[in-house]
Amino acid sequence: MSAPIIANSVSREDGAGYVLVRLAGEVDLSWSQDVRRAVLAAFGGGEAVGVELSAVGYIDSSGIAALVEGLQQARASGRRFALVAPSDAVRAVLELARLDRVFAIVADIDALLAPA
Amino acid sequence: MTATRQRIALAPAALPRAREADALAFLAELSRSLAVSIDLRETLARAITRVREFLDVEGIALFLLDAATQVLECKVSAGPVDVSGLRLAVGQGIVGRAVAEDATQLVTDAASDTRVWRAADETTGFVTRSIVCAPLRTAAGPIGAIEIVNRRDGLPFTAADAELLDLVAAPAALAINNARMAGALLEQQRLKREFDLARHLQKSLLPRRRRDGFPVIGVNRPAHEISGDFYDYFELADGRIGFVVGDISGKGLDAALLMVRAASLLRWAGKDGLAPAAWLARANDEVCETARDGRFVCALVGYVDRAATRVQFAGAGFPPVVVHRDGRYGEYVAGGPPLGILRGIDFEQHDLLLDGGTFYAFSDGATDVRDADGKPIGLAGMRALIARHVRETPQARLRGLLGELKRLRLVDDTTLLLIEAAQAERPELLLARTLPARAEAMRELRAALRASFDEHGIEPQLRDRLVLAVDEACTNIIRHGYGPQCEGAIALRVLRSEAMLAIELVDDAPPVDPATIKPGALGECRCGGLGVALIDEVMDEWRIEPADDGRGNRLVLRKRIPSWACEEADET
Repeated sequence: MSAPIIANSVSREDGAGYVLVRLAGEVDLSWSQDVRRAVLAAFGGGEAVGVELSAVGYIDSSGIAALVEGLQQARASGRRFALVAPSDAVRAVLELARLDRVFAIVADIDALLAPA
Repeated sequence: MTATRQRIALAPAALPRAREADALAFLAELSRSLAVSIDLRETLARAITRVREFLDVEGIALFLLDAATQVLECKVSAGPVDVSGLRLAVGQGIVGRAVAEDATQLVTDAASDTRVWRAADETTGFVTRSIVCAPLRTAAGPIGAIEIVNRRDGLPFTAADAELLDLVAAPAALAINNARMAGALLEQQRLKREFDLARHLQKSLLPRRRRDGFPVIGVNRPAHEISGDFYDYFELADGRIGFVVGDISGKGLDAALLMVRAASLLRWAGKDGLAPAAWLARANDEVCETARDGRFVCALVGYVDRAATRVQFAGAGFPPVVVHRDGRYGEYVAGGPPLGILRGIDFEQHDLLLDGGTFYAFSDGATDVRDADGKPIGLAGMRALIARHVRETPQARLRGLLGELKRLRLVDDTTLLLIEAAQAERPELLLARTLPARAEAMRELRAALRASFDEHGIEPQLRDRLVLAVDEACTNIIRHGYGPQCEGAIALRVLRSEAMLAIELVDDAPPVDPATIKPGALGECRCGGLGVALIDEVMDEWRIEPADDGRGNRLVLRKRIPSWACEEADET
């Protein structure tokens, strides 16, 4: 594999009217619980939540499950939730799981905030 | 165009004679007709007649340059004297000079101009007074020239006339150039079709791979479009198997055709079960009758019984045979000159007990492959390659040998034939790993799987899906098999049999009841069961059973790999 090895990381950006959770690396069982906690914690404010996935080279079903929980949380609390700029690897797994139409997918955070 | 001509006739001395607007309209029309031309010669003939009328000149001629001989030949002309077929050297006369200098020539008074080549007038009686000649320009230099002779109004040509002819020359040059390129393309396509046909014909001559415990297999890789090499095997009524490997001298289509003839001849000569030496002698006499131009055929022929215990063979100009048994190598020089050189020759014959060993015959394309120092690898190189692949199944070994030869750069057609007692089909082991049953071990495993799948030619999208499926299977074992506290290991093996990929995961966790493993529906917004659903989606099948020693579980995932299926079909 010639693809660069990206360290696993999760970070949070609190912006005006939104919280963006940034993920990087390979999301798998070894830390998907951290991802789940970070995604759910982002719903702390009354804001829109985005999960930025452009630097995610791999995601397994436990990582997808964390995103699904985020979506369920958003529906329950009437807030906006979207996947932001998912990488090809993430898109491929979403398509395989037939979840590519279940999630809102946006190119950047501005698109999440734009009125529908 | 009649209207234009009348207008010109009404004002013969007016300059410019053709008004700019008329000239542009004429040029546009001319360009269009040249651009859509199918029969260029006819279109050019019509075009120069129209140019002659439009410019109101007595004679017009179009010359094309033969790039090889540098001779200009008049292809079409119109006027009182037909000069088509006239040939000039580059530099000769006004036409030759226009091409040599790639510049339009204007001759106002032909009688006093030293550039003019007068021989034409002297033989025809035509009087040339004034000439303009424009080169047919292309990016690669002039490809000819267009020449006009004598204004009908009797006046000498002017710079305006020269400019106008220059404008006419541009679309003509473009049309001719396009037609030539289209012609070259058609010729290339025709050749390619012929080569494709020859290649298919050749491939259809190679025997189909037999899987029912057949001891002989072969592979053939042409270095170029078509091969001069071939192999064949067939069963005799007494149960023996006849085999042939051949190599035609020379390359290209006629070598390929001789190959087709030699292949059928050798099969025909071997069908009677003649001893290999007599078989070759018979084929030799036949090839002598038909081979021409010093072409000859190197061949190895023989018989083997189905259990591959005894091989009888004879060679004609063929590289030595290598026999490998228990780490020891024997070489057998198959004596005798190539077929097609001298009639009535005797060939040497070998009879050897294979006794669990393997018989390798390869055309010189294999031994001529160069190593890093540029030296042919020879038989020693082939032995080293064989040693590297000795554990693999015969089919995988041949594929491995050919792969290594290709990496070293094949320069010649290469054929390998292998004889070995058939084993029950052993799957080929692509990767084996034992990993701790911890989620932290997965990233490294995924990298190893990706590398292995890449190495074995699985395309990226399928590779990533397979990696996902194996990861999901492992994480299920970690989560549900071993549970949170339990420390254990997972033994992974990636196997290939023909086009089928099998991934085997063995754990020593408590036995799992397969009925309890259920996939969730895909596309469903729930968290559970997605892993199993993804495995179902990616793999053709999977099953879980108690491991061999009764402790733990053995999970096997299977997937047919389309690119492997193509490979197998390739090897016939």
